Amino acid sequence: MGTTRHRSATRGRAWTGGLLVAALSHLTLTHAAAADSERIAVLEQKLDQSLQTIQELSARVHDLEVQVAQGAPAAANKPPGRTAAAAPAATIPSDTAQRLARVEQTVTQMAASAGQHAEGSGLPLHGFADVGVGNHNATFSQYQGANVGTLEFFLTPRLGSRTRALFELNFEVGSDGTVGVDLERAQIGYQFSDSATVWLGRFHTPYGYYNTAFHHGQQIATSLRRPRFIDFEDHGGIMPAHSVGMWLTGSERIGDEKLTYDAYIGNSQRITGGILDMNNAGNTHGSTIVGGNLGLLLSGALDGLKIGVDAFQTRIEDQDQAPSYFSQVKSFGAYASYDTDNWENIAEFHVFNNQDLTGHTGTHRSEAGFVQIGYRTGRYTPYARYERGAFQQSDPFFAAQTSGSSYYRDALGLRFDVDLVSALKLELAQTHLTDRVIGSYDEALIQYAIRF
Amino acid sequence: MIRSSAKLLLTVLLCAGCAVARAADLYLICNSGVSLGASDVRDLFLGEKQFAGELRLVPVDNSAAQNVFLERVLKMNVAKYSTTWTKKSFRDGINPPLVTGSDAEALAYVKRTPGACSYVGTANTAGVRVVSTL
Repeated sequence: MGTTRHRSATRGRAWTGGLLVAALSHLTLTHAAAADSERIAVLEQKLDQSLQTIQELSARVHDLEVQVAQGAPAAANKPPGRTAAAAPAATIPSDTAQRLARVEQTVTQMAASAGQHAEGSGLPLHGFADVGVGNHNATFSQYQGANVGTLEFFLTPRLGSRTRALFELNFEVGSDGTVGVDLERAQIGYQFSDSATVWLGRFHTPYGYYNTAFHHGQQIATSLRRPRFIDFEDHGGIMPAHSVGMWLTGSERIGDEKLTYDAYIGNSQRITGGILDMNNAGNTHGSTIVGGNLGLLLSGALDGLKIGVDAFQTRIEDQDQAPSYFSQVKSFGAYASYDTDNWENIAEFHVFNNQDLTGHTGTHRSEAGFVQIGYRTGRYTPYARYERGAFQQSDPFFAAQTSGSSYYRDALGLRFDVDLVSALKLELAQTHLTDRVIGSYDEALIQYAIRF
Repeated sequence: MIRSSAKLLLTVLLCAGCAVARAADLYLICNSGVSLGASDVRDLFLGEKQFAGELRLVPVDNSAAQNVFLERVLKMNVAKYSTTWTKKSFRDGINPPLVTGSDAEALAYVKRTPGACSYVGTANTAGVRVVSTL
């Protein structure tokens, strides 16, 4: 009993203590919150006053500038290249000039203190997302209905004057319908000059035009989806869209034209589960992918036109076989893009000369390419695309890939820019499978894509 | 008849005067430590030129004069400029120009930031280097 009373008393003291602590905490927090609120209110008031003052001074500067302009119209006729500050000084009455200078100085100082936002936070974060609906999924044709595309985040931190970094973190729905996370790009680079930057890490393999011009964010692409054969590895692409290694890139003016170049070396890829994998951690046999890309940006009447050629060679291990099969893959490409205010036309073509290094089936030649024509007219961009992949099924490199069958696809689409950062796209397409499986299917797809 | 002709002539002269004044009210400015040619301005604001010698350049957009700048220098509209930079940024890992909200803010930023360049509509550009006048 006594024990019971003691427990009750202890419990009571504990409750009392607890209540006291809670009350004190509440008081402290309330006080702190009240203090913060007061400080915020004072700061807001000061900010409002500052902004009002800036507005008044800006208006005053504007008025004075108008007066000066009216009083000295000759100032507007000064020759180009003449020092801007010297011209009006000669024509402005001295008292007006002094007043103007004082007011401008005040505004400048206030604007300088208020304009810190222009310098940024040091870690810009951007993102892309898209959702869609259709009688098929745009990527995985076995599904239909509504779908979530991707949500991805870009980080381009501001580092030193010559160090650059780019990270692309992507949340995407896979072929099994589940959401996966992928570090699509992780590049850290050093910029030697305007014409040379070297990157280390995981990057988009710079073959052709499309693979480096566009990324996972569909908002910046005119079309609703990438051409199938240069789609990303886990979305049905049959080329090594990503490489892990070193990439030297840059451009150099040659007269009015501009020459662009890429040279890269990285881990050779492998095939596992019927999908190309870029070997993020390295590979076990030291094989490499080596390649390059040369482009020329034209000017004058051909301003907006870029033409180029590219090539790469790699040794692919098919780990779905036991023991593994190896193929030497050689790709040669050519491309052209015409990007102006109105036109966005892209053509890209690749030839593959692959050699079976294990089964001794010899060499195999395959081809793939696409042509896309788009015309921007206001907020609407209608586009048409034809793409084709003719892949030798006796080539172990294509035979081992789930999406390695030959096909061709026609597509007509319309992009509508809702605003600068969001676009609604409609695409009607017909896909024909021509060897591993013979058949075709029609697609009606809608996509809403944004960037932020 | 003479009166209406005079009015017409006056209107034409006023319009011409406005056109001349308008054509001269954009100043491309840089921090005083920057040595940059007028021909480099386009490349600078499209991210193609990032260094002047060893100095890292910092292009700064001025929203108060951006439309005029895009029209006269880059020959493109805001939508195309935005798209160009989005593609450039996510391909090359560089960030688009910072944005200031007024001539005064742009001037202040350029004055105090080594390598900074911008454009303003005011002729009072004391303390910065005028690369060209358009």
